[in-house]
Amino acid sequence: MPEAMVKLAGIHKRFGELEVLRGVDLEVAKGEVVCILGPSGSGKSTLLRCVNLLEPPEDGEIFLEGHDICKGPNSGTGEQSWELDFVRQRVGMVFQQFNLFPHKTVLDNVTLAPRQVLGKGRAECEEKGKALLERVGLSDKLNQYPERLSGGQQQRVAIARALAMEPHVMLFDEVTSALDPELVKEVLDTMRELAEEGMTMLVVTHEMGFAREVGDQVVFMDGGVIVEQGKPAEVLDNPREERTKKFLGLVLER
Amino acid sequence: MSEFFNQYFDFTVMGDHFSEVLEGFLKNLLLFAVVLVLALTWGLILALIRQLPGKKFIPLRGLTIAYIDVFRAMPLLIIILLISGGLPYLEFIPKDIRIPQWFGQPDPFWYGALALTLVYGAYIAEVYRAGIEAVPPGQIEAARSLGMSHSQAMRHIVVPQAITKIPAPMLNELNSLLKDTTLVSVVALGESLLIGREVLAETFNSSAVMLAGLMFLVITLPLARLVDYLIKRNQGKVTRGAHIEVG
Repeated sequence: MPEAMVKLAGIHKRFGELEVLRGVDLEVAKGEVVCILGPSGSGKSTLLRCVNLLEPPEDGEIFLEGHDICKGPNSGTGEQSWELDFVRQRVGMVFQQFNLFPHKTVLDNVTLAPRQVLGKGRAECEEKGKALLERVGLSDKLNQYPERLSGGQQQRVAIARALAMEPHVMLFDEVTSALDPELVKEVLDTMRELAEEGMTMLVVTHEMGFAREVGDQVVFMDGGVIVEQGKPAEVLDNPREERTKKFLGLVLER
Repeated sequence: MSEFFNQYFDFTVMGDHFSEVLEGFLKNLLLFAVVLVLALTWGLILALIRQLPGKKFIPLRGLTIAYIDVFRAMPLLIIILLISGGLPYLEFIPKDIRIPQWFGQPDPFWYGALALTLVYGAYIAEVYRAGIEAVPPGQIEAARSLGMSHSQAMRHIVVPQAITKIPAPMLNELNSLLKDTTLVSVVALGESLLIGREVLAETFNSSAVMLAGLMFLVITLPLARLVDYLIKRNQGKVTRGAHIEVG
């Protein structure tokens, strides 16, 4: 097996008294799509936020393309010795609440980080930004402000914005949960295309259909640990663990 | 009743001293303009220091909070007197700085400007802070996850949004600042109140002081209406925003 794109080993994270992650191990190969399921409070979003060090873990190791990002040589770039620059320019993230910059146009949302962080020229960034927005089907919205867009459109801008940094890994944190039902598909379709192009993806989701069709691996979390993981068909159709069965029963019953 | 009017609204006294009082008032406005620039800058610097993340900035953050608290807690008049009555005698400071005469303005002008900047910088820092804290944390997270540093996120994402959330409280502070420029009369800056008081001392008539006050009203009353308008407009925005989220 080739070197893992992302490898987590023994990740622990606590918020005060509350231990949210209690020893998580996970390997994600290049080009793989891993869907993370679990009840709310199971630690799945926190796990995702550990991968790009928005929430640095207290204990454990995270390897990104073979580099231990929890204690890298570029110490001093953030709190403690996290290799923030290395991580955040390789890992893109899309949020439940979109978090688009409301005071910037759609195109500026997409070009801001490449210009400021990578120091690229305006013309180059705008050309690339337009191409990305065309790819997510929004080339007619370049000069709109985010508040004029539907939730689904905003989320697709957010995906384009993350892609503009040319990440090697994309994190999706319940990106369809805040959307009206009829807008979910357009976002999932964009993610499906991205997966087909070979992007490595970690996806926290409640969309069972997406996990089944697009996921290479499905991970079920509960109580801060991984309870069960495997191929989508195994975990979703023949869960071994009681907790997985119970959760899937509740979700699929709807 | 006519006695009252003669004491406060004697148009002859007002007319006789109009140009002097107006000249003094222009001095108030000049002082206001200088402090406006300095205090808005100083306040932003303080607010940004207060937002620095991480353990290594704890001492600097603590110092800034202490500064903001102390300078908001001290009477402005005392600060003015401490500076004007002390700074000129600190001989280890170069003479150009302890007795400043920059840009043709006398030293009381600059003592006043310094005191007002120190105090209003603290007040304005709190206004900026309210604006910064009103920006949803998801904005910083998004910026940081795109690889921006803390200072890039502040500069491009947080501060531009923070400023749009605080025009009303900021104008309130600036309104107070304009009025408080009269306090510098105690160190003999020839501004409108001092000139009014000189007339009062000569004639035992308050009309020149009243005239100075009326000149302030010309600016501060419309400002109060503007603040009300901005607050109302902002409430409208909030309601509309909530509506969009629900819809």
